[in-house]
Amino acid sequence: MTSFIAIGLFTGFIYSLVALGYTLVYGILRLINFAHSEIFMCGAFGGYFYLRVFVNYQTPPSGAASVFWIGTGILVSGAIGGIMAIVLERFAYRPLRRRNAPPLTYLISAIGASYFLIYFVGKEFGYYQVALPQPYTNGPAFTVFGAEITTYNVIVMIAAVALLVFLDVTINHTKLGRGIRAVAQDTQMASLMGVNIDRTIATTFFLGGVLGGAAGFLFALSTGVSSTMGFVPALYAFTAAVLGGIGNIRGAMLGGLVLGIVQTVPIFWLQQIWYTEPIAFAVLIMLLIFRPTGLLGERLGRTA
Amino acid sequence: MVVRIWEFFATPSMRLLACFLGGSVLLAVMTGSPGSSGAPTAGFKASLDSPRVIGFLVFGVVAWWLLTTLRRARSGGRSRLAVTGRATGRALADIWRRALEHPVARRIIGLVTLLVAAFVAVLVADFTGPYASNKLSFGYLGHQFSFNFTYGYLMFAVLLWALASRRVLEQLGLRSSARAQMSTGRGAALVIGCVLAALVFSLAANPWLAPDLHWSAIALTARGTSIFWQWPTYLWVVASLAIARRLLRTGDHPSRSTGPMRRAAFLTPQMTLALTVVALFVAVEWPKFLASYWQGDVTQQIGTYCLLALGLNVVVGFAGLLDLGYVAFYAVGAYTAAYFTGHLPVHPPFVLNMFAIIPIAIAAAMLAGVLLGIPTLRVRGDYLAIVTLGFGEIIEVYLNNATSYTNGAQGTIGYLPPFSIHFLGINYSWQFPNHGQSKILAYYYLLLAFLALAIFVFSSLNHSRVGRRWSAIREDEVAAASIGVNPLKYKVMAFAIGASTAGFAGIFTAANIGVLYPQSFVLQISILILALVIFGGMGSIVGVMVGAALFEFLLQYLQLHPFPGYLQQDYYMYLGALFIILMIYRPQGLIGSRRRGQEFRLAEQGVGFADPAGAEKSVVNQFEGSSFAMEGQGTSGEL
Repeated sequence: MTSFIAIGLFTGFIYSLVALGYTLVYGILRLINFAHSEIFMCGAFGGYFYLRVFVNYQTPPSGAASVFWIGTGILVSGAIGGIMAIVLERFAYRPLRRRNAPPLTYLISAIGASYFLIYFVGKEFGYYQVALPQPYTNGPAFTVFGAEITTYNVIVMIAAVALLVFLDVTINHTKLGRGIRAVAQDTQMASLMGVNIDRTIATTFFLGGVLGGAAGFLFALSTGVSSTMGFVPALYAFTAAVLGGIGNIRGAMLGGLVLGIVQTVPIFWLQQIWYTEPIAFAVLIMLLIFRPTGLLGERLGRTA
Repeated sequence: MVVRIWEFFATPSMRLLACFLGGSVLLAVMTGSPGSSGAPTAGFKASLDSPRVIGFLVFGVVAWWLLTTLRRARSGGRSRLAVTGRATGRALADIWRRALEHPVARRIIGLVTLLVAAFVAVLVADFTGPYASNKLSFGYLGHQFSFNFTYGYLMFAVLLWALASRRVLEQLGLRSSARAQMSTGRGAALVIGCVLAALVFSLAANPWLAPDLHWSAIALTARGTSIFWQWPTYLWVVASLAIARRLLRTGDHPSRSTGPMRRAAFLTPQMTLALTVVALFVAVEWPKFLASYWQGDVTQQIGTYCLLALGLNVVVGFAGLLDLGYVAFYAVGAYTAAYFTGHLPVHPPFVLNMFAIIPIAIAAAMLAGVLLGIPTLRVRGDYLAIVTLGFGEIIEVYLNNATSYTNGAQGTIGYLPPFSIHFLGINYSWQFPNHGQSKILAYYYLLLAFLALAIFVFSSLNHSRVGRRWSAIREDEVAAASIGVNPLKYKVMAFAIGASTAGFAGIFTAANIGVLYPQSFVLQISILILALVIFGGMGSIVGVMVGAALFEFLLQYLQLHPFPGYLQQDYYMYLGALFIILMIYRPQGLIGSRRRGQEFRLAEQGVGFADPAGAEKSVVNQFEGSSFAMEGQGTSGEL
């Protein structure tokens, strides 16, 4: 039981990271960035290629070397994710924004981008799942209330918390974050006050992409990479973002954790792993029926 | 002189003649001989022997001569007949003109000519016989030449040309359009009557298609018996006449869509009608000439996807909602069929005939749509996309994993039964009795009938009060709600209609293919269907059909003849790129509905939203629009 909670919690961290990408973009543009799942995937691929160049499959590094490779892996995949997000914004969204297109076109364009990336990556790198060269040796690290915490879990937690703190600080305590909040609050006014709208939007995409890419890397450490890997986690992450209140940054963090636990724990009783997906979906539907604004309410910038 | 020739072809008599000839030749041609290997043959593959050709031509020339002289007499021309019987001619012409001016008489004349045309068509079909052929071959200088063209097609082309040339003349001001319209109505009625009669004959006259339909007059034809005195012949004729009249009535009122959206239509109602008939003709005739691989493709891929795309068009095109899990409803329909025929591990309370399952499958899919739609559509348009995406994914996961209910990835147990009729002594199955293969063309025609029904229903819906409410919601949900339209109700309605169409397509596929696998109901299919709708043109039924046909054809064609480096999965990559490009340069699609196109243009100027998700429109969007945007903000920024 406790181990299920632990598993849920650590998956939840990854969801939180991805959910933040949705929330950030939603907060600023009022649109759901459908292609975020592919940013996740691209980040993971970035990390994969990085590790493949430097890390040997047979002899995983240990100690400080492990920390170094994981840390830099996160940075690399985050950078790839961020760049992909900017590219996406530039090619799939900005032309539409320029033309003041209706939201339906954004959704369709995003799906197009998503599909393009999935199949492009699949064509280039193959459609099968590939394991990452492990930069560390996985194993049980310690036990909490009977739940076995592995090294992987520790890595995920530390990395996720670091990234979440990084984002929170960026949004709330830097000039850039002030700009993002201002644009989210009132674009017109922010523009009049000298905020560069296009650049702010691109930066927001970049931030979301960094988190998404890093999450992709963390996810891939255990499951490997494939061109379609992003789809399901991103669906969960979106659910998490709605659960926390879309547009609300802390809500997304909380939503990810809650969703991770909520969808993992019932498996303890149901004994069948494939139920995670229906559960997440049921959560989303229930949420839309009873509390469409999520746990913490939807607000980015409005009051933050 | 040139003009006079044109005018001559534009005369009603010429059109009448063309109708007679076209319709009857068409009919003769299409009741062709049965092929040797069970493959359907008609038209092109048979040969028309010379006595019949001569008989035909004589008939044509006589009719032409009579009609043209009558015409000249009416206009005071100098034909010999006119000179000798000028007084009679004038009187006749006078009566004729008056009759044409009288509304009731005009309709009666229209009906009578229609009837006569159809009658003649039947007569000629009978005369030329069921084994009539249309290959004209003759010897010349020791060589045997044979022409494989079909008179029917030729005549049909002439006919259309006559119609079109009248239009040309009208636009040149050489003919007054009021008068022309009157006669075009009749001409179009004739064309449609003839073609419909021909189509029905052709459809049913295919012995390969209906070998055991004893009650069909056409089956009799196929066996060499005369169809002339069989009552069903006249049933068909009357039915086609009725349909033709019905079509014409709507065609007579070009100004059905009034209001600010009204612009000069690209096609006149008559032209639209003629095109519809041509399309129907092609849809009926064309698959017969295809290789069996392509027949299967046309049925299983193009046809089914047309149906799916039509259903999704109601959701995406008419109501402006994005449904990404459309394939889930398709799966619901298909697996409902599997359940009620007892081909799942769970056993149904009673086993039903495939036709009886249709309403159940539709209801099941609709229920799923409503249950999914109500919570989601209450909130926001773009949530629907994700929720439906999730739903599609769940259904796939469920089908794959709930082995005790769905038999998992192994697919349904055994072969699902085909469509079959056991009713009032009629026993007809859409499958060959000896080797359990589907009759591809039989399925195709069944599907075609359902498609026609769907097209009719959806286009009527779109032009009805419901359709106007959909566009109101699409354009401005808040404004629509303020004038008493319940957005939730109509959005859920659109969603449910789309879902039920998919459910129907599901049962059709189930009966046609016989085995269902979860792999057939993956997200890619949803995206593909969406691509058909978006590429063809959201909200435009024609566009959607064109999109479906084109994309499915391309998909199959590329599978057969891939270009270097092409893999089957790459199709989705190109689709994805196409999505982005289309959204940037042509959001309303290839043949988009004019209203939708207008909406997108207006939205770009900051007026209106073009879809319900727009009520939550981005602040950035509004800001970057024109000055209209600021006005829009106050009314619709918050919902």
